[in-house]
Amino acid sequence: MNSEASSSQASIGLSGSGALSHVYIQYPPLKCSFPGSKGLFYDDGNKLLLSPTSDQVISWKVAPFEPNVERTSDSVSEGPVLSVRYSLDNKIIAIQRSSHEIQFWNKEKGNSYSHRCKPESEKILGFFWTDSSACNFVLVKTSGLDMLTYDSESQNIQLIESKRVNVNWYIYTHESRLVLLASGMQCKSFTGFQLSSAGIIRLPKFEMLMAKSVANSKPILAAQDVHIITVYGRIYCLQVDRVAMLLHCYRFYRDAVVPQGSLPVYSSKVSVSVVDNVLLVHQVDAKVVILYDLFAESRAPVSAPLPLLLRDYPRASMSSTSSPCSKGDGHSEPKPVDEDETTIYRGGWTFFNPDLICDTSSGLLWKIHLDLDSISASSSDVPSVLEFLQRRKLEANKAKQLCLDLARTIILEHRAVGIVAQSMDVLMTSYSRAIKTGNYFKGIIADKILSFDVQTAHNPRPATDEFSRGDSSGGPIKMDSSVIPDEYTRSSTISHSESSGTKIQQSSLESEVPGPSSVPLDANNLEQQESQITTAAISPDELYRFVFSSVDEEMTGDPAYLVAILVEFLRSATLERIREYPSLYVLMIQLLARGGRFGELGLFVIDKIIEPSKEVAYQLLESGRQHPPTRKLGIDMLRQLLLHHDYVLSLLQDGYYLEALRYARKYKVVTVQPSLFLEAAYVSNDSQHLASVLRFFSDFMPGFKNTSDHATYGEILRQMNSPCVGA
Amino acid sequence: MGLYSTATISADAVKLCVFDLRRGQREGEEVEKILYFYPSELPLTDQLSVIGLSEGLITFTRIFSPDAACEVIEAERHSHVFYEAEPDVWMVMVVEKNKELEGIWRIEALRGMLKEVHSLFVMFNGSIRAMLDKESTGALIRSHLFSFITDYLFDFLAGKKLQLPSFHDSLQERGTVQMLTVGREAAIEIQSLVRVLESCAGSAGCHSLVLFHDLLVSTSVCPDDTVNLYTYAVLRMTPRALSASGSSWSYIRKGNTAAHLTTGSILPTSSTSTERVQGSRDTSPSGENRYLIARPLQQGKWSKGKDGFLVTNQWGSDMNASFPTVWLQQTKERMYLCAHQHKNVTIILLIPVTSINNAEREIPVLKQQLLENASLKILKVEEKLAKGWGGENAYHVSGYRYLLVDGDRCVSRASPAAKAATLAKESLVAMCKLREEVDMEKSRTKDDDVNHDKDLEVCIRAKNNSWIVARILRGKELYVVLEKANETLLYASDAIEKFSNRYCNGTFS
Repeated sequence: MNSEASSSQASIGLSGSGALSHVYIQYPPLKCSFPGSKGLFYDDGNKLLLSPTSDQVISWKVAPFEPNVERTSDSVSEGPVLSVRYSLDNKIIAIQRSSHEIQFWNKEKGNSYSHRCKPESEKILGFFWTDSSACNFVLVKTSGLDMLTYDSESQNIQLIESKRVNVNWYIYTHESRLVLLASGMQCKSFTGFQLSSAGIIRLPKFEMLMAKSVANSKPILAAQDVHIITVYGRIYCLQVDRVAMLLHCYRFYRDAVVPQGSLPVYSSKVSVSVVDNVLLVHQVDAKVVILYDLFAESRAPVSAPLPLLLRDYPRASMSSTSSPCSKGDGHSEPKPVDEDETTIYRGGWTFFNPDLICDTSSGLLWKIHLDLDSISASSSDVPSVLEFLQRRKLEANKAKQLCLDLARTIILEHRAVGIVAQSMDVLMTSYSRAIKTGNYFKGIIADKILSFDVQTAHNPRPATDEFSRGDSSGGPIKMDSSVIPDEYTRSSTISHSESSGTKIQQSSLESEVPGPSSVPLDANNLEQQESQITTAAISPDELYRFVFSSVDEEMTGDPAYLVAILVEFLRSATLERIREYPSLYVLMIQLLARGGRFGELGLFVIDKIIEPSKEVAYQLLESGRQHPPTRKLGIDMLRQLLLHHDYVLSLLQDGYYLEALRYARKYKVVTVQPSLFLEAAYVSNDSQHLASVLRFFSDFMPGFKNTSDHATYGEILRQMNSPCVGA
Repeated sequence: MGLYSTATISADAVKLCVFDLRRGQREGEEVEKILYFYPSELPLTDQLSVIGLSEGLITFTRIFSPDAACEVIEAERHSHVFYEAEPDVWMVMVVEKNKELEGIWRIEALRGMLKEVHSLFVMFNGSIRAMLDKESTGALIRSHLFSFITDYLFDFLAGKKLQLPSFHDSLQERGTVQMLTVGREAAIEIQSLVRVLESCAGSAGCHSLVLFHDLLVSTSVCPDDTVNLYTYAVLRMTPRALSASGSSWSYIRKGNTAAHLTTGSILPTSSTSTERVQGSRDTSPSGENRYLIARPLQQGKWSKGKDGFLVTNQWGSDMNASFPTVWLQQTKERMYLCAHQHKNVTIILLIPVTSINNAEREIPVLKQQLLENASLKILKVEEKLAKGWGGENAYHVSGYRYLLVDGDRCVSRASPAAKAATLAKESLVAMCKLREEVDMEKSRTKDDDVNHDKDLEVCIRAKNNSWIVARILRGKELYVVLEKANETLLYASDAIEKFSNRYCNGTFS
């Protein structure tokens, strides 16, 4: 591909808005070029980018990604460097000096120790540090795996265990703690080990699928065609089949490796990244990236293939004459460095697990980001977009905001009730799951998103109590949670094994209680759990405040539609056993009353769709000003809520003073002033009643006879009676 | 009900007429006043004498009470029940008092019948006055009233006699709706279905009713319209009604002649008197007149189609041919009546006539849409309701025989008829009399103060030592019969309080 074409393409990406891509890299990159560098190495255990020179190792910390991060350097002895990794406690640097020698360099003491293997029979393929309980250093050789323990104090290396396998090449990610050893003629037989803190798990040997191109020519699987990825805490292996142009997907279980279908590939060179549990398949030749959400059952891409975008690249420097950029200005300077920076999918790009791109030729490191805005804008299938957004953890707040916007938009646009109902289902299911796993409240506390009403609006106790009853609709809750900490792992395992009834899957279900065998492999990834603190889940109260009430203000007319939406929302919430708050019911009453649908309002109250509360009762009283039966519902609700004082007052307001008196006597309501009763009786213009009320208070209320009320109304009563006497 | 042959009044003992005071003002044209008379074979002179007497009484009582004239006349041998259905259009029912037959009834219950048949008539045909204005000869209204009221009375026919509401029905309230009590979850599910139904039709003015068995589950029209539609549905559309008419299906399907033969027993259509009353009628033996008349109350009018929608044979109103329409009082709008049934769930959907241009084409499309969008929800609702369904005696409370009426919402709930029937006759008669008293008290306060309901509590010890209790509180009424109860009043009032707390949300305590 010539550079002109590529640069023009890059400029398209630059000039366009976010809608032209769903994935972007953010300018500026981390500059990792260093004079005298002998290459760049990525230490994924420590998230360090390492650049050894002749006598030192320069390192940049890449997590959290910070373009201006200070480099640090450690001096080491001179010599060739084939590979380098820091120990997990960052004290020792292991350097592969040759195919037979590993040097351990103690940073503090500055001394070193060399470990050699038999040069005639085996060759070192690579090594990595591990936090496994059994060993801390693993050496991968052509003859197999050596699990070693290196003690920096005594400078002593000890062989713990050795696994004999013929190895052609291997791949390892620290994220999954999984090492895959390729063997065989075609390098398609794999042996896997997971070196987790729980111990070493040996995976069953398995073969990858390889399509034959022509007779007798057997393709050989290369290391760069196999990727281990971790999404939603599950471990997958992706294998590029260059002949069939497919990306085969396998999922790892403790006792099985299960094919999960294939994804199409549109480029001879394919690489993968994982950003926020979304699988990104880079079609390098086609210069596009396709997104897949492996959580969903379907293997359909999240969105259409679109190029990777370089975002925030300083356009000024590109077009200005001072810039070395030659775009359109007729500058005849040699190809500048900046030109290279803008070229997407250059030859020098190396993809680091999970979401880094290293431009080795120009020494730049990019981090890949998802553009949630454009992803959510690109699909009209709102429920599935919401589902996608709800699963995002990295930019949870952003996803949450987008979800709220989407919800508001579909209501404002008067989408079909069914669509909105599905969307509500998605949001409520997600919220309920977040509550169950406790992520929601963690998120609240961590982010202080809604700290002002946490204690009033979100009382987790009733909700969790209801969850623990374990209803049938609650989803998969049977899996042993101590083994699989991630909620996604649980639900997906069940749902998957329900759909594809393979034997292995079933066994993984059956053995959930007894223990170690056939449980899906999970990555015991601390870093991921940290990022899970926040969640995009939206509480009913937030939905009310940011969607329903604001929509109500914006929408003029058609309260019936909004009522329909609220009913659907209640249905979703009830299914998930999520409690509602009175403000929502108050809004419902207002809407129904505004639409003049008092009959339905009555039905809603009587069937307890609108749950009784003081706020609701008062709204009924308010809305019932023009409609006495509705007002009665409000008064009745006050009585049922045992709000004696309010009930008596409302009765008095409506002129039912005798009933109010009877009730006040029965329930010993002494907080209502006698004058209110007397006034009501006086207004009714019935002297007998006024007399009885007066008598009532004289008899039952100590000291009433001495009050001004007694005197006043006694006088009024005399005046009322006098004309009768006179006549 | 055949058990209570005592309550049956011989056909001759009941007269029912509809007349218009604005017509036939000149001497010799009195017959013009008569819009409907039952029994129609009664000689015209007798008919005129009944109407003349009624008119005289109305005119006389109007002197004292111009707004609300005569309600009832108790003569030595007859009771005359008056109902001014529309201004100057009166319905009068004359019932013969028969000591032997213990003709004990409640006037309000009889008036309830008049009200019911009139409001049903208006629902389907619009007001009598409007029809009179449309065709001043009266032939149109006469033929409509004739078939409508005849079909209505057909339901009261036991053998050859009319069986009117009597004291046995004192724990029932005509003109109210019986509702199914549902749990919150089911209620939300139902409302969700209702929204889908109403959104299906696309226009905002749609309404719906949902019934389960003979009980109302949901409605979106005002109480009066709900009562009418509910009454009609229970009479002709619910699964029970359909199966009842299904037994006589084959012979009704033979055609209108057959149907007329059955009604002929109370009303021979070819009799000369009717011909005279109805003015210009052809004398075809089938009795069909020249107007194409929809007979919504005809037995076996509805049947269930394969797609679950209820279909009706030849509605034949003069408006849009084959799709039944009804008038809503609330919105003063004519609506297409569309009914769907799944097992015991009956859904009535009302679509404004104005929103549909071509009914023949659009309504089937609409039905199809409904099935596509709502059938899953209907299944779900049916399942939920069937699971929670307590059977016929779900609302029986042991030890109590009760009637609970919510006047605001026109809703009532009562002990199951079979349970109420176990009461001693004395108790029922006493309750009937008590209710008569309460009715009078209520109508008195209605005149006094429109805004305020009268609160009332009455406890009676009947001859057979049962307690008969009526309690009226802010528009809600509770009638209870306690048999085999303790003899103290305290006991009775405690029992009522207990009942109120348990089953009425404490309304009466």
